[in-house]
Amino acid sequence: MATTAVTPTAQGYRRSWVVEWLTTVDHKKIGILYIVNSFAFFFAAGILALVVRSELAVPGLQFLDERTYNQAFTMHGTIMIFLFVVPVLSGFANYIVPLQLGAPDMAFPRINALSFWFLPLGGLLIFSGYLFGGAAAEGWTLYTPLSGGTYSTGVGTDLWLIGLLLVGTASILGSVNFIATIFKMRAPGMSLFRMPILVWTVLVTATLILLATPVLAAGMIALFIDRNYGGSFFDPNTGGNPILWQHLFWFFGHPEVYIVILPAMGVVSEILPVFTRRPLFGYRAFVFATIAIGLLSFSVWAHHMFTTGQVFLPFFSFMTALIAVPTGVKMFNWMATLWRGSIILATPMLFALGFLSMFLIGGISGVMLSAPPIDFHLQDTYFVVAHLHYVFFGGSVFGVFAATYYWFPKMTGRRLNERLGKVHFWMHFIGFNAAFFPMHMLGIEGMPRRIADYSPDAGWTLWNLVSTGGAFLIAASILPFLVNVVATFINGEQVGDDPWEGNTLEWATSSPPPPYNFDRLPPIRSERPVFDLRHKHDLERAGTEQAGAEGGHE
Amino acid sequence: MVPPEPHTDQAKQIFWLYNVVLVMGGLVFVGVEGFIIYSVFRYRRRDDRLPTQIHGNNLVEVIWTAIPTVIVLILFLLSTLTLNSISQASTQPGVTIEVDGFQWQWTFHYLDSDSDPANDVSITGSQVAPPRMVLPVGEPIKLILVSKDVIHSFYVPAFLVKRDVVPLPEGKAPNELEFTVSEAGIYAGQCAEFCGDLHARMTFSVEAMPRDKFDAWLAAAKAGETPAPSVPAGGEVLKVAAREIAFDVHELTATAGQPFTIAFDNQEAVAHNVAIYKGTDLVFAGEIFTGPGTRNYVVDALPAGEYTFTCQVHLIPAMTGTLTVK
Amino acid sequence: MSAEATVMRATDEHLAVSHREAGMPTPLVGMLLFIASEVMFFGGLFASYFNARAVHIGEWAPPAGAPELEILPIALPITIILVASSFTMQFGVWAIRRGDQRAMRNWTLLTLLLGVSFLIGQIYDYTQLGFGINDGAFGTVFYTLTGFHGAHVFGGAVGLTILAARASQGQFSKQNHVAVEAISFYWHFVDVVWIALFSTLYFLR
Repeated sequence: MATTAVTPTAQGYRRSWVVEWLTTVDHKKIGILYIVNSFAFFFAAGILALVVRSELAVPGLQFLDERTYNQAFTMHGTIMIFLFVVPVLSGFANYIVPLQLGAPDMAFPRINALSFWFLPLGGLLIFSGYLFGGAAAEGWTLYTPLSGGTYSTGVGTDLWLIGLLLVGTASILGSVNFIATIFKMRAPGMSLFRMPILVWTVLVTATLILLATPVLAAGMIALFIDRNYGGSFFDPNTGGNPILWQHLFWFFGHPEVYIVILPAMGVVSEILPVFTRRPLFGYRAFVFATIAIGLLSFSVWAHHMFTTGQVFLPFFSFMTALIAVPTGVKMFNWMATLWRGSIILATPMLFALGFLSMFLIGGISGVMLSAPPIDFHLQDTYFVVAHLHYVFFGGSVFGVFAATYYWFPKMTGRRLNERLGKVHFWMHFIGFNAAFFPMHMLGIEGMPRRIADYSPDAGWTLWNLVSTGGAFLIAASILPFLVNVVATFINGEQVGDDPWEGNTLEWATSSPPPPYNFDRLPPIRSERPVFDLRHKHDLERAGTEQAGAEGGHE
Repeated sequence: MVPPEPHTDQAKQIFWLYNVVLVMGGLVFVGVEGFIIYSVFRYRRRDDRLPTQIHGNNLVEVIWTAIPTVIVLILFLLSTLTLNSISQASTQPGVTIEVDGFQWQWTFHYLDSDSDPANDVSITGSQVAPPRMVLPVGEPIKLILVSKDVIHSFYVPAFLVKRDVVPLPEGKAPNELEFTVSEAGIYAGQCAEFCGDLHARMTFSVEAMPRDKFDAWLAAAKAGETPAPSVPAGGEVLKVAAREIAFDVHELTATAGQPFTIAFDNQEAVAHNVAIYKGTDLVFAGEIFTGPGTRNYVVDALPAGEYTFTCQVHLIPAMTGTLTVK
Repeated sequence: MSAEATVMRATDEHLAVSHREAGMPTPLVGMLLFIASEVMFFGGLFASYFNARAVHIGEWAPPAGAPELEILPIALPITIILVASSFTMQFGVWAIRRGDQRAMRNWTLLTLLLGVSFLIGQIYDYTQLGFGINDGAFGTVFYTLTGFHGAHVFGGAVGLTILAARASQGQFSKQNHVAVEAISFYWHFVDVVWIALFSTLYFLR
């Protein structure tokens, strides 16, 4: 097999390790900072989840009061979405996208660093509510008038707002960086339709962030003004409209969920071709489906508001039903990639297949919710909690772990242990389904969400107990993962440039890459330049045989 | 995996739609999941050969875009038809009730056809005694949902429906919810929009009964309204008033070892009471009533000590105070 | 796209990496993207304005006791000043495109002067209005919209100051002045937002 190895020539000058990491503008280091910071918040928010599940396991308030419980689920949701899942995917994108483009760094390296450092700062501000009389406790959606100054006194909510404004600004600056990089810094030969799918999903995601997050910022500033300067945006007693908050929030909030899922879909679309040795089926359609999802995502927001009695149901129900189509197309593309492939079940592939299965369930429950009559029963129940965890956790977090196992060797030069990886996957998979599948039943039976306690006569106890067990199994599954990471750092299997036989340009340089990423690049004639190089001789030999086998467009 | 037995005409239609969608979803799940599992076994890597590199197939892709589009359009159609059917408002509701959601309980005002709110039956719940909405079976019920504080949601799982109770600005009409209960019975309900500390305690129930029994209940409830103020039994009289969801005093003193009276003046059309706690133990609970009106609560002799008095309907600082008995 | 033909050689497996930029300069792309996000930000604020207007009952106007909004003596003049400043900004851009750094600096300083005059006028107007941000929905949306617009003018003024300082140090040339173009985009955007705001507040009502 032809080697695609490139030996880095330069060593780089030495700085103290601490100064280096604090002041770096190298996208690779910044990517790692994002990932490590995000996992730290993941564990914090995970502990909050265990707190919530422990209290809910059986009826009765065993060890929390209502106010503490309400803070716990509020902070759990806020931290998971804004400080874990979006930034960790941003971190992988930061590391990988310039490499996949054949670029030496991002378009604006210093803004890249600024975007990162706003994150721990914003996160600490949000958490600091606990030190000043109580963290925000109105649910991550912070509906007014509950979140207004009359009903949520104390600075916890204000700190939440300011912290999130910082995090949001960082996001927006990051998205400017990604879009500029993708349009301006591709290597010669890489037309838009030769970009890796991950780059496409990052491009659409960045566009969503760019256009949706500012609306949330406007809403949060308005709420801050209501809370602190006597404003009347949302106060019905002085001419304001509480429903306005929901419109502003969800106009951002719905694109936000696609911001969360699209990069994970990109990751899966990178992994499936490598571990099946097939191209992604329907590359072009996949790109158009991604763009369609991005566009449609701005038209469905009020499906979160069906029960408010204040929105035009048919329009939003129609658009929500429509957005299922491009999502379904993607699922078929992935399935067709598996078809007649040569599949190897390495850990990244297990998590990618897990993504497909779990996201499928989340998608189906979403379609059920898209029908207003059904939503009238299921809105604000545990059915929605099940749905959101199947797409966020079963979707994005599985994608995050897939990305971790896949690109860990590229980032560190060492591959994570396969056996421990499989133990992690199966514990995680079983725990996840045990924790969240029963929530479908609980919601269907009428258990509302965001309740600290429930009646022993309701008949909800058994499923709650099972769910709590699953949650602890998920927590336990982190152990083999952490052991794996630490042990691999210390003495893991060392690998070269391309341990997985990858397709895209990050595998055409050393593991880890040198500071400037590439000495030289292979020719770029398709979305799989490294694959093409590896199989150049095979493909030349196959010649007409291969051209005949291809059933369609490039 | 199916909702509770539906007990309104509308709920039965929602139940049907749910089952249709569940079956569709189930088929998709089995098909796709089955394919994935099959492929993973069938196409396991056996040798080093490169599999056929298929990049796409226009025909197949058009088909698998068109068919899901048709399916979701059918789904949308069924959903819209069901929505229209269950949203029919009746011209002559059997009962109209104004549902007042507040932190953290409910008041049900039975509106009758005269415009005098003073003789309307009004039921207010408390944490210890959630309210029961009594209804006639088989007739359209109209609920008018109002809130003066935060957003709540009126949810009865057995009716497969909820509607938010929103404190809207003056220019907007309140939400309404209509349904016809189809079978007699008692159905649990609960607030379904997170509304603060005691959201989980904001429960209620609905009892549907034949019309004649309902009429009897309503008449009895009306007769029990506005009892004559009771005469104080002697001893000191402590004056407490309630206005704008607040007591006018937050410190009271009483003499230990003898009964005393709390003259409670509820000055607003909101449900209040006065209850006395020692720590977390309930020592006395006065009748909850909607004002404007007065009640004289006669409290049995208490031993000396520090007590808390509070409104059981509004467990907030503005309606809490200390009672020193010495 | 990029000039592939000159870079690729048929026998070469690995190619030299080429970064010659074509098309719009990257910092300008970045500024346009940033402006897109700002458009959405103001969109959210405008949406709040129109929603408040739609739900209110009675006349949509300053609260009782305060005078009606009038375009004179302040609002219209400061609008003219801000629009004029867009012209002076563009004259500066054209100057540096000709290579005339001194003229560009002078036009930039004039733009800065006009922008600061706008801000002073705006602040003076606030003192004459007779209502505050806490005087009901009208007051809240009025001050929030104009206030954030003013904050953006201030940000632009900071940018203009930096441009003028850099021009004084001779840092720009005919070929190298992307910062001037970028700030000019931002300044025009701020002006367009004001025109929309002014029309909405004072004419659409």
